[in-house]
Amino acid sequence: MPNTKRYLITGGVGFAVGTFFLWNYPNLGLGSALLGGLVIAALCLLYSAPLADMIKAGLIAGMFGAVMTIVYGTHKPGVAIIAGMVSGLGAGLLAFQRSPQANPKKAAILGAEAGAIAGAWTGLSLFVMAFVIAPAAGIDAGDFAEHLSETVILADVLGLGSDILILLFAFAFSTLSGAILGAASCAARSLPLRPNIPLLAVIALPVLLIPLIDRAGNLLLLDALIPIYIFILLALGLNIVVGYAGLLDLGYAAFFAIGAYTTAMLSSPHLGINLSFWLVIWVAAAVAAIAGLTLGAPTLPLRGDYLAIVTLGFGEIVPILFRSLGGGPPGGTLTLRFFGMPIGIEQVDLTGGNKGINPISPPHLPLIGDFDPSNKIPWYYLLILIMGLAIFFINRLRDSRQGRAWMAMREDELAADAMGINVVRTKLLAFSMGAMFSGFGGAFYGAFIGAIFPSSFDFSVSIILLCMVILGGLGNMTGVIVGGLLIQGADKMFIPKGAELFRRIAETKARAEGSSTVGVSALQDLTQQRLLLFGIVLVVMMLVRPEGLLPNERRKAELHPDDDTINSNSVAAEAEADPSLAA
Amino acid sequence: MAPLLQARGITKRFGGLTAVSDVSFEIEKGSIVGLIGPNGAGKTTFFNMITGLYTPSDGDMIFDGKRINGTKPSEVTKLGIGRTFQNIRLFAHMTALENVLVGQHCRMHTSLLGTLFRTASMRAEEKAARQKAFELLEYVGLGRNSADEMAKNLPYGDQRRLEVARALATDPKLLLLDEPTAGMNPKETDALTELIYRVRDERDLTVLLIEHDMKVVMGISERVTVLDRGIKISEGLPREVQTDPKVVEAYLGTGHAAKGKGGGAPVFDKA
Amino acid sequence: MAASQTPSSPQAAPLVPREPFLTKRRAFSIVGLIIFLGFFAIPIYQTILLEMWDSPRQLTQQIVIGLTKGTYIAVIALGYTLVYGILELINFAHGDLFMIGAFLALIFISLFGLDPKTSSGITIFFSLIGILGLVMVCTALMNAGIERFAYRPLRNAPRLAPLISAIGMSFVLQNVGIFLGDGLIWDKLAAGLGSDAIGRVADAMGTQSVAPKNIPDLLPNGQVFFIPDSLKYTYKDLLVAVVSLGLLAGLYSFVRFTKLGKAIRATAQDRDAARLMGINADRTISVTFLIGGALGGAAGMIVGLYNGTALFSMGFTAGLLSFTAAVLGGIGNILGSALGGLLIGLILALSDQYIGTRWSNAVIFAILVLILLFRPTGLLGQEGGQKA
Repeated sequence: MPNTKRYLITGGVGFAVGTFFLWNYPNLGLGSALLGGLVIAALCLLYSAPLADMIKAGLIAGMFGAVMTIVYGTHKPGVAIIAGMVSGLGAGLLAFQRSPQANPKKAAILGAEAGAIAGAWTGLSLFVMAFVIAPAAGIDAGDFAEHLSETVILADVLGLGSDILILLFAFAFSTLSGAILGAASCAARSLPLRPNIPLLAVIALPVLLIPLIDRAGNLLLLDALIPIYIFILLALGLNIVVGYAGLLDLGYAAFFAIGAYTTAMLSSPHLGINLSFWLVIWVAAAVAAIAGLTLGAPTLPLRGDYLAIVTLGFGEIVPILFRSLGGGPPGGTLTLRFFGMPIGIEQVDLTGGNKGINPISPPHLPLIGDFDPSNKIPWYYLLILIMGLAIFFINRLRDSRQGRAWMAMREDELAADAMGINVVRTKLLAFSMGAMFSGFGGAFYGAFIGAIFPSSFDFSVSIILLCMVILGGLGNMTGVIVGGLLIQGADKMFIPKGAELFRRIAETKARAEGSSTVGVSALQDLTQQRLLLFGIVLVVMMLVRPEGLLPNERRKAELHPDDDTINSNSVAAEAEADPSLAA
Repeated sequence: MAPLLQARGITKRFGGLTAVSDVSFEIEKGSIVGLIGPNGAGKTTFFNMITGLYTPSDGDMIFDGKRINGTKPSEVTKLGIGRTFQNIRLFAHMTALENVLVGQHCRMHTSLLGTLFRTASMRAEEKAARQKAFELLEYVGLGRNSADEMAKNLPYGDQRRLEVARALATDPKLLLLDEPTAGMNPKETDALTELIYRVRDERDLTVLLIEHDMKVVMGISERVTVLDRGIKISEGLPREVQTDPKVVEAYLGTGHAAKGKGGGAPVFDKA
Repeated sequence: MAASQTPSSPQAAPLVPREPFLTKRRAFSIVGLIIFLGFFAIPIYQTILLEMWDSPRQLTQQIVIGLTKGTYIAVIALGYTLVYGILELINFAHGDLFMIGAFLALIFISLFGLDPKTSSGITIFFSLIGILGLVMVCTALMNAGIERFAYRPLRNAPRLAPLISAIGMSFVLQNVGIFLGDGLIWDKLAAGLGSDAIGRVADAMGTQSVAPKNIPDLLPNGQVFFIPDSLKYTYKDLLVAVVSLGLLAGLYSFVRFTKLGKAIRATAQDRDAARLMGINADRTISVTFLIGGALGGAAGMIVGLYNGTALFSMGFTAGLLSFTAAVLGGIGNILGSALGGLLIGLILALSDQYIGTRWSNAVIFAILVLILLFRPTGLLGQEGGQKA
């Protein structure tokens, strides 16, 4: 299956994109569909696959759409239609993008074809949902039409009533949107612009528009998106350490914690120091970077797997420290004895112990005033700004003397040393840079949540971040972002939603059987399978695709010079070829 | 003129084992010197003491008037000793160009802030480095179109050349080549020999090469030092060394020494 | 590439530079340590030491507890050491295998219907021996299976790849622990098969799959010796120590004196050379994982019975403790790991008593970091323990 990975990538992103707008009310059918279409368009520009691939990719996207529909449609049936449209739009774009016929008419036809395939998938999934899933979960399938007419204005106007018509509607809309987008993007391509400008626009536009759509549709999307973005920011920092420099850091959450606690201590009434967020975020980043240097200096000369364990140790100790440096009774004293003389030390509650620090002051801007916890829009844009800057600067680092030194060291430490690269210093730089970006992330996190607890920074955070980096592709920022969207989307959106659905099904079944117990076993409760998901991601990625879903462009070319040459031996070859994992 | 590299009574012991014992020799500026010996003679240990991977147990290693015992490899490179590896150690998943750029790392000065804010001096330095990297690639005979090729994908001979280019990028005064022709066919060997001469003549370099294949060393080197079981057994012009009975014995055992004496050079054709 | 090339090239082996002991880095660390000790820690140490002095009985009690704990920590540590010795892989999933051992023990105990109130001492004794065997067989097979499917395909991959795979397996096993601890699943099984025994398992697990499980107190609680107000040592403690030490001794003589043990040692020394000598490396590695798994499972059962609880996340902490023990003693060295286990048990007990339980993990980690910095080969490790 030569192109499987490409389909999986495309479909996977379709899946992630889907989660964004399927998260909540589908009040903005067309708007959010366009949004999804744009993101998929960005993807197909990035991964310029030939025509046939595009259609197949649309197919995969549609399949994922179907899964989304099944999982989500239970609660919000109109979503299914949108899933269909998005798949159609995406497929249309994909079908068009690299086709040699730069002719809007032909592109429209291609788009329509692909959209139709996707639409068929969506239709099928709607069908499955209406007649299999919804009854099983105890939901009245009759709600469908009603809901749809509320959601999509056209449906109301046309008076679509029956389930079959809804299916047709999804199908038609999908086809139509495929055609429109195919034609539109063809027209856009003929514009005299540098090739990466439309690409950037296509990525940036939806990202920037999300809050407006969110507000207009009252989707409450940002509540989920902001934590996801924070994690992606952290993963970008971790990628410097693991992906670029090849150092396995299992305690990255420690730096996140240090950034957050620095912010909390300096910018809250807790210690009476209430500095401005705009100052504190820099302090937090600096403190995290210095912590990276201090922790790294003695440990970085250690060999790879020992380093992993030591960083894991730091990751454990730091939350313990924050837990223990406070939370005692106010005004309590600790009596120590110094050469027999008792000395009383007044206990200062630095970190609030298990209760953490609450509240933390929000940022303040002249026009906006204090950032309001209930209005997420300024937060969102602030985070986008931080992330944009992070990506910008990390890019510069990668393409520089320092970045080359990281990669050389990752490839062959001894040879790098012999080429005049001071290995320990280079490692330290990577470590502290990684820590710095997580310091920014931590500062934002503290201010955004408004309170921090030591339990938010435990080992599983480090592992989730590692999963994000490994899933997407070590050393590749696009990959890390996509991996982050997938893992976090799963962790914060799909698993809880899916768990709810499964629970409803189980309960309905239990009721039908007249059984009084309504408990849900661990096998049925998806929320209890997070660990399994992360574990499987790590193992399977190592075995099957150590280079990640979206490997570094160059490395991808290296590992798959021709897709058809992949054979069973290539797994070992890939594993060997993946330099970032070399100790 | 003072020699560029001077080893004075270098000894290296690993636990009870003495790998190199009281070896002294000098490398004149601008010469091409071969260090040879059968397997296990201590050549590589000696090499590693020059490049800073090992610290000599005894004796002094003096480079360009400076004692470099125990200097870290990266520092040694900065002082002006560039090297290649016996089993090619390129940065396999970086392009040829990047490999050479990494070689220039220790001669570049852009700081972290310079990188982050892409200052004018950083851009100028980067541009100059690229320029130089392209020149070096062409110099060793890799065309511009190999520049974007991943090092791993280059043919074997080109990988050797790239290693030389990468070593040259560190602006060395002394170039150390560890079995540079290992695994090469005669044509590639000739081309590399020619390159080594060119490097010496045009770039004003001194070259020290390690070989266990006598024939190659005889073809390239102007002077040869022979190690056997950690001891320097012979030194001099290739032709002299070649007929030295001690050398013949070291390579072929006592039985051949007598024959070697009469037969002279041809013995080594079989070696 | 570096990692995969290094072992194969004869030249690369001695390339690891030997450092003089007092490098700049170490000098800095030492100065830092002295400053830390002088200005910050001396009052704390003094306080602790004086507290120990004040009550030697309490101290003795803690030492006894610590050594008892140390014996089972040593058993877990051996699993790490064996695998590290042969593959140079930190088998991250080993701690979780230990947890699975505890769960399996609880399952078998419930299946056999053992109850401290109703079952006779003899029944309990022989059943427990049987259960120990069963648990060991199960965890051994699991461990070998994990090696076969998650590590073996990565044998020639860069060395961090199997480590990441092992971390992944650790999470998978934790989730298996959640499944095993879910009474509802057992309930359904019991209903489906109409089996009372499985129903008892369901009862033992309860409805909350992530909650700690109670393991019946089957070990004798009588005092071996008892000094009023100070020292007590129960048969339970003694039993745990004896079984653990028995396992240690058994393993030591196995590796030392049997043919398979010799194969294991040979493969650990040099896999390629061992292969040339006609040793089947894959099979030897499988055997090593079988033994490691059996030890982990046995330790899980012992600890489960000793502490009376099982929890799906208990493997993480136990794993770190024992890994530290293995490193302290010299990873790859069987006697070293045993010694490390005892020391860590001791340190743990003392730190629990005198510093506070919340600091214990931090103390253990600090020790781990210090060992790796100053003596990465551990107490009994040979030179070159940090093999390239």
